[in-house]
Amino acid sequence: MIDFHTHPVMVKELVRDDPALQRAVREVFQLYFPAQPLEVFLAEMDEAGVGRAVLLPLDCTTAHGCRIVTNEQVAELAGKNPRFVGFASVDPGAKDAPRRLEKAVRGLGLKGLKLDPALQRFHIDDRNLAWPLYQTCSELGIPVLIHCGLSWSLVGQSKYARPLALEEVAQEFPSLRIVIAHCGWPWVEEALLVALKYRNVYLDTSIVYSGTPADALRHVLAERIGLDVLERSLPRQILFGSNYPRADIRRTVRGLAALPLSPSLRERIARKNAEELL
Amino acid sequence: MKSILKRFTIVTHHETELIDITPQVLAEVEAAGVRDGTAFVLSLHTTTGLTVNEGLPDLEQDIADCLQGLVPEGRTYRHARFLHEDGQMAINAPSHLRGALLGFEVFFPIESGRLVRGARQTIYFVELDGPQERTWVLQIMGE
Repeated sequence: MIDFHTHPVMVKELVRDDPALQRAVREVFQLYFPAQPLEVFLAEMDEAGVGRAVLLPLDCTTAHGCRIVTNEQVAELAGKNPRFVGFASVDPGAKDAPRRLEKAVRGLGLKGLKLDPALQRFHIDDRNLAWPLYQTCSELGIPVLIHCGLSWSLVGQSKYARPLALEEVAQEFPSLRIVIAHCGWPWVEEALLVALKYRNVYLDTSIVYSGTPADALRHVLAERIGLDVLERSLPRQILFGSNYPRADIRRTVRGLAALPLSPSLRERIARKNAEELL
Repeated sequence: MKSILKRFTIVTHHETELIDITPQVLAEVEAAGVRDGTAFVLSLHTTTGLTVNEGLPDLEQDIADCLQGLVPEGRTYRHARFLHEDGQMAINAPSHLRGALLGFEVFFPIESGRLVRGARQTIYFVELDGPQERTWVLQIMGE
């Protein structure tokens, strides 16, 4: 399996000697439990049956004066362990954001872009800030994963993260592969609309709001979207993601396993779609 | 009276895992220089347990299976929500309840500088929500 949505923000080896990262994780990303050795992250993947994980950093320099794991740190983790696939993050407010993204991809070998409009505080359809980044992603041929929906951080503003704003982005950038994180919860229907309409738009399953992952996946995938809709219309556009460490990978995998999916859709969600994207 | 407190940090690799900590306890008791007293072993976590049983792999598996059967993952629990204090989902109610069944501490008398325990008694640190980094504490008290 491939977990398309993890945050290496509680890796002890990174956090231990980096007071700025400690502050960013506590005050901006807002996780308050002890960091764990990298060995635990890998063991968690093993225990869940996940072979590879996409690592997502976040550059919030304009909005919060911090980077929640740097591109360099992600590249180092991915460079040392082939089970990790590193994404880049750049601050859309930075004047040279497209150049930074290009450098992260060409120079550091990162494989995609992570944006979080709620924490980075930009509008998804902002032609000045976001458009150049979408353009660069298209030119580089890399996917962009965009946080959509509820932002758990108390300094995040979910109003920036409406999935419907991606309709225009998908129109303007037909070759850009866009991943809507968290199925856009609670705006699941908006995310569904965009994904149904544009074949270059994907949904990830990292849905975290209440209940167990099994509860959340059943409610969103089976009851709100409909498994028949996934089977018929979106089999190539849905990806497994856990949002680790906000939710553990093991229980999210079990939540997916509990859904009555066809073997081919299960395989597509678990591995194939992510492999094609990466 | 002497009181010696030692902390041991371990990394677990499975969701449920019984880890034999008897050798560390015996070694520390031997080194403590306490002739008559008590050794207390305590886990610092609420989703782990401490227990004593016969040190056999089949029994270890039976204990793990039994705990999972007594507190099944699929039941509905209240502790299944976002926990603001941690910034993460609290979705490990079964781990907490399994820990409550096992308890979080064990103790043994020390006599003539040696731990008083049955020949088949093995001391287990029990991971119930792994993998994680964990800490257990040994306090040796006596004279």
